[in-house]
Amino acid sequence: MDNLLVRFAFWLHSSTRYNKIKKFFHTIMEDKNSKLKKYVDYFLIFLIIFSVVELTYSIKHQTNPIIHYIDFYIVSIIFALEYILRFWVYSDIHKDIIDNYEKTKFLKAKFSTIDALLYAFHKKIEYIKSPVAIIDFIAIIPMYRELRILRIFKLFRYTKSINQFVNVLIAKRFELATLFMLLMFLIVTSAIAIYAFEGNINKNINSLFDALYWALVTSSTVGYGDISPITTQGRVLAMVLIVGGVLVVTFATSVIVSAFYEKLTEIKEDRIVDNINKHRSFVIICGYGQMAKMLLRQDDFNGKYIILEKDPEVTKQIAKEGFNVITEDASRRDVLARFDSTYAEISVLCLGKNDVENIYITLNAKSLSKNIKVIARASDTSMEKKLQLAGANHVIMPNKIANVMLLAAINQPVMYGVMHSILTGQNAAYLDEIIVHEYDSLNNKTIEELNMKENKLLLIGIKRDGDFIFNPQPNIRLHSNDIVLMMGLKISIEYFKNRYQGI
Amino acid sequence: MNKKNIWIFGYSKSTKKIAQSLNKDEFFINIIDQDENNYKDALEDGYESYMFDITDDEELEKLDIKPKDILVCIMDDEHLNVFLTLSLRSFCPNNEIIAISHSIHATQKLKMAGANKVIDIYQVSANRIHNIFNKPVATKLLDNFISSSHDISFREISVPKNSIIDGKTIDSLNFSIYNIIMVGMVDFELGNKFIFSTTNINHKIDAGDIIVCLGKDNDLDKFELILKENIS
Repeated sequence: MDNLLVRFAFWLHSSTRYNKIKKFFHTIMEDKNSKLKKYVDYFLIFLIIFSVVELTYSIKHQTNPIIHYIDFYIVSIIFALEYILRFWVYSDIHKDIIDNYEKTKFLKAKFSTIDALLYAFHKKIEYIKSPVAIIDFIAIIPMYRELRILRIFKLFRYTKSINQFVNVLIAKRFELATLFMLLMFLIVTSAIAIYAFEGNINKNINSLFDALYWALVTSSTVGYGDISPITTQGRVLAMVLIVGGVLVVTFATSVIVSAFYEKLTEIKEDRIVDNINKHRSFVIICGYGQMAKMLLRQDDFNGKYIILEKDPEVTKQIAKEGFNVITEDASRRDVLARFDSTYAEISVLCLGKNDVENIYITLNAKSLSKNIKVIARASDTSMEKKLQLAGANHVIMPNKIANVMLLAAINQPVMYGVMHSILTGQNAAYLDEIIVHEYDSLNNKTIEELNMKENKLLLIGIKRDGDFIFNPQPNIRLHSNDIVLMMGLKISIEYFKNRYQGI
Repeated sequence: MNKKNIWIFGYSKSTKKIAQSLNKDEFFINIIDQDENNYKDALEDGYESYMFDITDDEELEKLDIKPKDILVCIMDDEHLNVFLTLSLRSFCPNNEIIAISHSIHATQKLKMAGANKVIDIYQVSANRIHNIFNKPVATKLLDNFISSSHDISFREISVPKNSIIDGKTIDSLNFSIYNIIMVGMVDFELGNKFIFSTTNINHKIDAGDIIVCLGKDNDLDKFELILKENIS
């Protein structure tokens, strides 16, 4: 039996089909970046609203039996399916069994099926106990009609702002619990007191429950007036209760408001991170100094960037300028892990002045994913080597670049102008590269056929299979995946691209 | 060969490489710094060196700066660099002043102070990052062309009198037979501005004009030789 369970777990683990199916359902249920999940969420939100509207309408109207049938059976079945799928994808029982089996093997202990199953189901129970799962479960039960109204709580799962509100309340649970206990004490004491004062005189107070009801209504300052004190003692008690109730409510409000204020920056920053994670490719700029400022002046990456700045004061200033910024230390692994490197093409720019920090960020990024492209700043050649060892794809040495330019300005003043124009992408000296795709009309054309001179373009060369063909001969034919390097007026290059790129 | 006189103001760890990269056969290098350690370093490295307070105009005036000398302001202190540029411009109205800047604001101030060329250290770095993102292949190749780590490089060529291109228009010439690309030229008839050959103007090349060509080093050597040898 033990053997069979472990073998089955291993079989599931190696089954590509099973893993593929599970991954698919995990994506549509839990993957925030999946478009399919969004559609599934919209569909479920629609069902929740449909169910609640149907219930509300049916209270005073006769509903169509088909609609009632859909709500009673179809919606409930879909919610049940959703519950089962979420329960399934929450954890992998087979992985837990394998894990348990390997642990016992390592410790040379006896493998127990019951222990392994308990260990595996422990995580599933964790899911069952979670508030969202409880709400999901309640939403499945259609039998008791009034209970169906609770389906509206399922919206919690899909509405981030409600989740954030709940998180704020959870963060202040100690303060709120204290106030709640104080309020309870006030209400219960007042209820007992009014029951003692007027239980036998006031015809509206027939039980302790009536007294409790009066105390709650009074303390909240609602005061329906259905029960009111008739004795002086009762009225004094009501006055004390009202003042106490107002104080407690005021305290509770201020606690919640201050908690929101504390969390506001966090909430805003979470939104910025969520928004950037929606893009297929984006840039993370670590450190906001002169270089980052200059870079964003000439290239805002179509808004697909985020700045991570350690200093909250600097962050405030950058945010005022309208940039996407959050206060975070990029050298912390968990900070970069917030960005989805499996889904998006991420480029990390380490532009801070501190070389050690830049190396650390580079290592962090590369340890998260080799696919993250890192461009790092270095102060000297020794740091350049270290950054390259750490895995940086490009190393920028501001002093070195400036020195090259300065030497050109001294040695070859005309060349300096040329270099400066080309490097800054000035109109007349716009250097660009065009990748030849298989279906481009450029593909298979000879250099002569491109009429570069007529288009007032300078063909510098072609990069083909890692080699660079400088000043190619007129009879050379372009192939797909060639990269054509050319220079000219920006308008000429755009015209050329429009004419030859695409079919 | 007459050496050009160059005055470099600032000899710190980050800027001493500039002096060291200059060809001593081509330039007579003078170093000025107000820091004693930097001054000693410059002396040890074999340069004609001076140490005085840069803000002292009398000391600056004592320097034997000729009108054709090049002045390079690369002091680490941004404020001092601007002040120095302004002082030098007031004493040397016709000299070429080249300065390095460490911020957008300093760049503007250096230009206002009279620097002819200002290299903004962060602007050039930001340009490079921008280019890496937008044209990675072109950037890598351009780097190689500029740093001469490739056998292809840019070269300035002065047009000799009566050479085969003297008096010809750009359109009438075919540079590809020499396996070089003519990027542009300085037409002295039209002033000192560099004109790229991609602009839609057909320039006439005259003796003394400077053309900038891109090509393999040996092809560029051959072309220069052709210009010198085939004088009509």
